[in-house]
Amino acid sequence: MTRILPKNRLDDCIAAWRSAGFSVLAPVRRSDLSRFEEVERSEDMALDLVLTERTIKDHFFPQTEPLIKYSIKKHDIDTQEMVPPERKRVFFGVRPCDASGLAIDDPLFGWDYRDEYWFKRRDNAVIVTIACTTSDDFCMCSSVNLSPDSTKGSDVMLRPLQNGSGWQVEALSDRGNALLGPISSILKEGSDATASTASVPVRFDVDKVMAWLADPASFESHFWKEISVRCIGCGSCTFLCPTCHCFDIQDEGDTYTGIRRKNWDSCSFPMFTMHTSGHNPRNTQSTRWRQRIMHKFNYYRGKFGVNSCSGCGRCTRQCPVDMGITETLQAITNLTK
Amino acid sequence: MIYNPFPMRVVSKREEAPGVRTLKLEFVRQEDHEFFKANYRTGMFGLYGIFGEGESTFCVASPETRKDYIECTFRQSGRVTTTLADADAGDIVTFRGPYGNRFPIEGFEGKNLLFIAGGIALPPTRSVIWSCLDQREKYGNVTIVYGARTVADLVYKHELEEWKHRDDVNLVLTVDPGGETPDWQDHVGFVPSILEKVAPSADNTIAVLCGPPIMIKFTLNALGKLGFNESNVYTTLENRMKCGVGKCGRCNVGSVYICKEGPVFTAAEVSAMPQCDL
Repeated sequence: MTRILPKNRLDDCIAAWRSAGFSVLAPVRRSDLSRFEEVERSEDMALDLVLTERTIKDHFFPQTEPLIKYSIKKHDIDTQEMVPPERKRVFFGVRPCDASGLAIDDPLFGWDYRDEYWFKRRDNAVIVTIACTTSDDFCMCSSVNLSPDSTKGSDVMLRPLQNGSGWQVEALSDRGNALLGPISSILKEGSDATASTASVPVRFDVDKVMAWLADPASFESHFWKEISVRCIGCGSCTFLCPTCHCFDIQDEGDTYTGIRRKNWDSCSFPMFTMHTSGHNPRNTQSTRWRQRIMHKFNYYRGKFGVNSCSGCGRCTRQCPVDMGITETLQAITNLTK
Repeated sequence: MIYNPFPMRVVSKREEAPGVRTLKLEFVRQEDHEFFKANYRTGMFGLYGIFGEGESTFCVASPETRKDYIECTFRQSGRVTTTLADADAGDIVTFRGPYGNRFPIEGFEGKNLLFIAGGIALPPTRSVIWSCLDQREKYGNVTIVYGARTVADLVYKHELEEWKHRDDVNLVLTVDPGGETPDWQDHVGFVPSILEKVAPSADNTIAVLCGPPIMIKFTLNALGKLGFNESNVYTTLENRMKCGVGKCGRCNVGSVYICKEGPVFTAAEVSAMPQCDL
């Protein structure tokens, strides 16, 4: 016997969490890109999507966010840190790849200097993940040692029932347990069978990829030029990536008053590394693409023991020139056959 | 908290060379100063800024033996440095730091020191020079080889004068061919060739080398010829930075983050980096 959340009680569930002080965010269809937004009714949720086009990263590391408000008089300066409010949020219907993405980025924002702009949001969020029963041609979680039902980064795991009437519920953390409190009367006991998880083929051999990248000779290989020749440097893959975390800091305002902001940036852009002198260590698209792959499957691992990829496949799915990480990693796998 | 800089009051400014200025900054708040005093070691860097314009990364040019203030020396070249160059005594600018690693000068004790700098790279070297000269008795012979394109481009001219007249410092000055003035009495030639000519002994000697990449490359060759081991040669790297604390993702050379694992490296460590990423 396990606990079951019946689909037809989802509205009661939302209401219970809302009255317990939570905002509930879920996948929502939009005319441009589907994304997580606050919902009040279950009919607004698009739980049938394989994956939202935008990631939940948006809600932890926003595209642009205020850091510091400043005001200056001639010899006096006043700064006010604009730390995000401690708002309790439930993310309902997160996919395992996006939940893992958050867990992958935690050590980066936490090492040495702790980034409270990330953690104030992280610490007050509960991630309710739904295991995938469908996938598409771009999904690649199984290639990066994750799976359609991996629990990394999740506080509660929901597994769809075979008969489609609801989900089997499993709390994975204290935060997840606490979230089930307000809905304890909604949950029921049951032994219904769960649907089988999506079958996501392994698309490349990540161990071979890591071994090839770790070889110093690979750095200057002609491979990078060939594989990246189509890249137009638009940065879409980085912005839609659940783990890409690079940012810029810019001031918006004038000499007297304004806001210092943290904005998404991308290793795809030439300005990203350009020195004032004009020297640019990564001055071609191929060196920038190499940086992206190296960072994800070599450097990040060296620092934090994990690859900076959760296999969502958005980089390939949304690439305007049909490139993406998958193709590169497949090519590397083939190189080393 | 992270990203929020310390307000700093400009105490004075000095024109070092055409387009190059030094600002002397003091802490506005006591607690910020205490933090700096507890953490600053020679070689570390900071982000200097003006709200409304942004922040720029450069070294702390003052030594760890003088922590009442921060000196920074920079070439006026972009938006932030142009605004910083306009700051006058009494104005408030900002500082974030000190960040990064340091020159391990305790390990230099009992050894001869060879400082080599080119152009605007004297400031980071000067921080180490004074950190050692202020405890002069701990070190052996001190040789400073400094070169710039022209006589006008030499920075810290007043200190060069002071070092020249100290009998416990061997100062070797040079300017590039064509950069000399009629009354120039020192060397004419590029730093690597002058270094070979002066030929300081590699025996029991630590070299600290700072300069533009091309100078570093040829000077390392010269040091090799003089018998220096790459692990006894220290240098400091720079890259574009935004956060300074290992998060914004741009300053790495290969897997090495300049802001966290640097900016100070031995020549051996630099050689191990992918050279085309520098």
